[in-house]
Amino acid sequence: MEGVSYQRFPKIKIREVKDECMKFELRNTDASIANALRRVMIAEVPTMAIDLVEIEVNSSVLNDEFIAHRLGLIPLTSERAMSMRFSRDCDACDGDGQCEYCSVEFRLSAKCLGDQTLDVTSKDLYSSDHSVVPVDFPDSTGYDSPEQRGIVIVKLRRGQELRLRAIARKGIGKDHAKWSPAATVTFMYEPEIHINEDMMETLSLEEKQSLVDSSPTKVFDIDPNTQKVVVVDAEAYTYDDEVLKKAEAMGKPGIIDIRAKEDSFIFTVESTGAIKASQLLLNAIDVLKQKLDAVRLSDDTVDADDQFGELGAHMRVG
Amino acid sequence: MAARRWSERAPVDYSELQELVEHHIESYNFMVKNGLDVMMDNIKPCRQAKISYTGRFEADVCFQYDGNPIVRQRFNFGQFPIMLKSKLCHLRGADPKKLVSLKEEAAEMGGYFILNGIERVVRCLILPKQNYPMSMSRGSFCNRDDGYTDKAVVIRCAREYTSAFTDQSSITVKLYYLRNGSARLGFWSLFLCSYSCHKALVETTDREIYQNLTCYYDGKSDKTKGAVATQLVGERAKIILDEVRDLSVFTRDDCLQHIGKHFHHVMDGLENETFINKLFSFVDGTSAPDNPDSLQNQDILLPGHIITIYLKEKLEDWLRKAKKLIQEAVSKENFDFTSLLDIKKVLDKNSPSQIGLAVENLLKTGRLVTQTGLDLQQRAGYTVQAERLNYLRFLSFFRAVHRGATFAGLRTTSVRKLLPESWGFLCPVHTPDGEPCGLLNHMTRYCRVTSFFDSQGAVKDFFNIRKSILSVLTSLGMLSALPKVVQAGPPKILSVLLDGRVVGSFPSGEVEKVVAHLRRLKVSRTSVIPDDLEVGYVPLSMGSAFPGLYLFTSPSRFIRPVRNISIPSEEGQNIELIGPFEQVFMEISCPDGGNGGRRDAFPATHEEIHPTNMLSVVANLTPWSDHNQSPRNMYQCQMAKQTMAFSLQALRFRADQKLYHLQTPQTPIVRTSTYMKYNIDEYPAGTNAIVAVLAYTGYDMEDAMILNKSSVDRGMCHGQIYQVGTSENYACIYLALHGIGAFMQLHTETIDLAEESSKNNESRRVFKRSNVNTSVHSTIDSDGLPYVGQMIHPSEPYYSTASVNDISPKPHYRKGSEPVYVDQVGVDMKNGQKVNIRFRHPRNPIIGDKFSSRHGQKGVCSQLWPDIDMPFSGVTGMRPDLIINPHAFPSRMTIAMLLESLAAKGGSLNGKFVDATPFSISVRKNNEESANSESESLVDELGNMLRSHGFNYHGVEVLYSGVYGTELTCEIFIGPVYYQRLRHMVSDKFQVRSTGTIDQVTRQPIKGRKRGGGIRFGEMERDAMLAHGAAYLLHDRLHTCSDYHIADVCSLCGSILSTSFLQPKIFVREFGGLPPARTAKKVTCHACQTSKGMETVAMPYIFRYLAAELAAMNIKMTLKVGD
Repeated sequence: MEGVSYQRFPKIKIREVKDECMKFELRNTDASIANALRRVMIAEVPTMAIDLVEIEVNSSVLNDEFIAHRLGLIPLTSERAMSMRFSRDCDACDGDGQCEYCSVEFRLSAKCLGDQTLDVTSKDLYSSDHSVVPVDFPDSTGYDSPEQRGIVIVKLRRGQELRLRAIARKGIGKDHAKWSPAATVTFMYEPEIHINEDMMETLSLEEKQSLVDSSPTKVFDIDPNTQKVVVVDAEAYTYDDEVLKKAEAMGKPGIIDIRAKEDSFIFTVESTGAIKASQLLLNAIDVLKQKLDAVRLSDDTVDADDQFGELGAHMRVG
Repeated sequence: MAARRWSERAPVDYSELQELVEHHIESYNFMVKNGLDVMMDNIKPCRQAKISYTGRFEADVCFQYDGNPIVRQRFNFGQFPIMLKSKLCHLRGADPKKLVSLKEEAAEMGGYFILNGIERVVRCLILPKQNYPMSMSRGSFCNRDDGYTDKAVVIRCAREYTSAFTDQSSITVKLYYLRNGSARLGFWSLFLCSYSCHKALVETTDREIYQNLTCYYDGKSDKTKGAVATQLVGERAKIILDEVRDLSVFTRDDCLQHIGKHFHHVMDGLENETFINKLFSFVDGTSAPDNPDSLQNQDILLPGHIITIYLKEKLEDWLRKAKKLIQEAVSKENFDFTSLLDIKKVLDKNSPSQIGLAVENLLKTGRLVTQTGLDLQQRAGYTVQAERLNYLRFLSFFRAVHRGATFAGLRTTSVRKLLPESWGFLCPVHTPDGEPCGLLNHMTRYCRVTSFFDSQGAVKDFFNIRKSILSVLTSLGMLSALPKVVQAGPPKILSVLLDGRVVGSFPSGEVEKVVAHLRRLKVSRTSVIPDDLEVGYVPLSMGSAFPGLYLFTSPSRFIRPVRNISIPSEEGQNIELIGPFEQVFMEISCPDGGNGGRRDAFPATHEEIHPTNMLSVVANLTPWSDHNQSPRNMYQCQMAKQTMAFSLQALRFRADQKLYHLQTPQTPIVRTSTYMKYNIDEYPAGTNAIVAVLAYTGYDMEDAMILNKSSVDRGMCHGQIYQVGTSENYACIYLALHGIGAFMQLHTETIDLAEESSKNNESRRVFKRSNVNTSVHSTIDSDGLPYVGQMIHPSEPYYSTASVNDISPKPHYRKGSEPVYVDQVGVDMKNGQKVNIRFRHPRNPIIGDKFSSRHGQKGVCSQLWPDIDMPFSGVTGMRPDLIINPHAFPSRMTIAMLLESLAAKGGSLNGKFVDATPFSISVRKNNEESANSESESLVDELGNMLRSHGFNYHGVEVLYSGVYGTELTCEIFIGPVYYQRLRHMVSDKFQVRSTGTIDQVTRQPIKGRKRGGGIRFGEMERDAMLAHGAAYLLHDRLHTCSDYHIADVCSLCGSILSTSFLQPKIFVREFGGLPPARTAKKVTCHACQTSKGMETVAMPYIFRYLAAELAAMNIKMTLKVGD
């Protein structure tokens, strides 16, 4: 048993980073790690979200639960969330979730006095903590006036009023989707495309064109100079096998060979804005580590050493 | 920007919608216009106040006595229910904006009544066609009397007043064929000799009668096409004439005397010779019997008509009674007839307000209280509650046509058959399955009902219409029926019947031209011929329908538009309204049907406007229903009506007993043209869910479906139930509180203290909170009512009442098993004694809730699956909202659902809605045949759309397992499908119990979910336990958890009944601080007078009960107790 190590050293190469989205490559590891990372990013990186709403006045058209639900879904900036406590195991406040370590209070008070419909947006939420505020979307696409930005919570007509107090707490996406910091996390295996040039030469230009066109995404193209079929964007390939089917239908199976690299993945991460996409990845790795630590340190692990065998040893080393 | 777009939106056109219920309103309008003089009362928001929407109904009554001057007096006939949006309604003519300001729906269409706050619609009923003789054979005809055969000709005659108006009251007249060759006329239970009737009607001689009867037979054309008479008619005519000789009635006066006075009620529209000739030809088999179940021979009974008929009878009753009262008074002394006061005093005994009440009761209960029967087949079931479960359901109440309650009980299924005659009028898809299948039909989208109003809204003058039709006919060369000349019958000459009256005849060769001419006049706007005239030309045939030209102008016929292609189109208008009677004999081509096997000899003269016109509104909403197996479309029609949807826009001002409401509905990406036409977007009913078709975890087996938990978290399919009241619980409370056995009709949470106190003879009660008992203050506000927005748990107090001089108000506790929110508390401002408390039950999707696509694919949510475990697409990262099993498709063949998924995917990528109108391919093909452009298949079109966006042509995608991160071995069909949330939810249905209430007599658990009862573990369940040998479980279910009982048995006498406890009179010594020692219980047997030999035996309590019951019959049961 000893001596055989399956330890690998995964590498991450970041391709593109923006606040709300990121693309990176993950190499030298297998699907289990890649998927674990994806799952943690979606469901286990903690964020802040409104969890408790006390409604004082609500004469809007939406009922209380509806408004509470909408409030909960508003992403709040949660850089601090990793260092905060879950309100259920907060010592400072007996777990009732109303202290600075585990919760942030919001107030909202809006009343429509004019004849025009008043949009109550996430901008109207006043936070007790400047580090936890509704996410601001810097790009004002779609809205021309700057004050109109923010997420609409409810619209009020003349005389209607909404007044409430809300408490945001730390949570994870597993419990409720509102705590999920990731809009989308996906990965794909990096494709490896080989074109059999000899066979390709036997095709006429039209045949080449039809082969190129058979893929719904633009993976191949014909070099205008050499009139050769070239791979323009391997990663656009969706593993739909359309080209392979086409090649077979043309009577040239094997003209193109596509394989998925089992150990390298291309990740796309989109954040809700609660955490920056790059931070999301780091947090996810932290959470993953913590989880592994929890497994490693727990008494059961030592006891179950026989069961886990070298996995347990592996974990203790790493 | 978005906000601006909303305000700038063009005013929505609801006219299409409004047209759908027009027949209801028009019929009521007619009734109001001509029957009544109704005074408007103030109209309040009745729905919330749980009262009826009525107006005062007054009429002038004239009295005349012995030629004295006429005395006029206005009487108040009570409150008369008003149909919404009728001419009396203050909503009439209100535009959407005004409706909204009146706290109504913007799309309010009216057509219903509000009675005690409940919306009720009068059900449209099918009746036999009026003024059309129908030949039929029924076994029951033989039993009328000796000599009757099973054959008769039946006509439902509608009454006419002064030839201008008909009030739609009718009577059915039957002409029976006797075995000796004669005929008898029968209505109600009178049977008359046909001759005497004939003679009574018109001054005529025997010779003329003979000639009339035999004129259809010319002596030789026995076997030619269209001949309807045989040589037997002569003999029959002789028999008929001979018969009368025995009765010795010869002149018209004699006949009148013979018949009595009843006849003048009936004789309208009764024309004997065609009638008798039809009977004879039917008997001889030269014409076929008419099918009373076919729409060809049917009319419709509308709300206004039934109310008119009913009202007429009630008024007649009242007048008769009034007459009697006055006559009695006159016979007494000191009664001055000219004095109004005296008359009023007398008539006070005969309360006029009962008439308004009678009509209100008819609408409230749907029951006709009448002696005569009004020539209607059923007594009850005329009105139904119009549930606002969702918009489509509500709409369907107005489009529904019922065949009649009498047919529901019949064991034969022939009435339920879908007959080709109903094509285009009744929807073949939209009928419920199960008990009312085929009896409750729905009118198609464009099916309308002829009314008393013409297109300008003026009342039709039927007399003038008929006159102008007659003049047109005469100008075409019709031989008038009067003066009478002896003429031949078919096949040479065809008679013309206008609304059942013989008006003349045409040589049979010319009729076709006449018909074509009439149709042209019908269509043209300028002519006097009404556009809804029915030109029923029954051509000559061999032993088929009795020939003739039947014209109908009457109201309450079905009509629908088709395009008349025989008219040159430069005349512009070529849409013709046709009825079911004429449709059968017309040549109408349908774009989808090719030429329908039509030969060149009979070219199509008409054309369907669109093939979807054969479907109802609801059936029209199924996308690409032409690609589905037909029963699936039927299921969808039913499920669309059970969908939880955006029920009402004026939700805030409603106090319906139960309202289902979907929180965040969406508009479907794939929709039919009907969807926009009827503004269904105002009341959307579903969600575009991303549906993946795969067998993922096994939790999607057998029509179960997996929902994505995160999608649900984010609000997919969230909803709530608004409820005012939980029914009879409240009556129970009151009974218990006041200890009075009076029946309480308090069905809802509408708490009406005035009503209560008057019933209980108590002083005025008010809502009041106790100042002493502060424990209720958390749920009850200082006014004695709950806080709005408060959550109330089961058996918490939520309002309290007290009588005025009472200091301790009594709290009232909430019944039910789940916590609810107080949504609204509405107080009647009049005296503050009537209160509506509306609760809100949250109903977010949980395991066990029912969902369905629009293709009859329903399923139950089996898991809320974590988002991270759902399969995901590598390219987009998309996870499905919903997973269904691929086995749902092969046997059900709902191809349209697959198409919808493809199309919605393409549509959402394009950012465009996709039109999914059924049969549009065939329509397009027809139009493009001339243009000669290539027509590709639908799938090809959709596939290419996906392809152009870089997606797979077939709509499949490579998905990765959410659990392992590996590629799934096969490509998964995934795309958005519009899903409906159905109203069947576990939270309303689950039933569990461990212990709880038991039956007092048997000590077994009670049944019923509401009372916390159990589900019966019945014989078959018992059998299953036995088969498994699960003895312990069986014992647990049937004994331990049921009526487990330990009985004392006297082993000496074996009785379990004679044992009883002896109350030990032993002095209980108390030891300091210790509880008193438990004295051993002493049981003795009364019979044996000893406490020896007592044994305890465990048994079902029901066994002891059996022993007691047997003892009551003097049978002793003994148990032998051994070891």
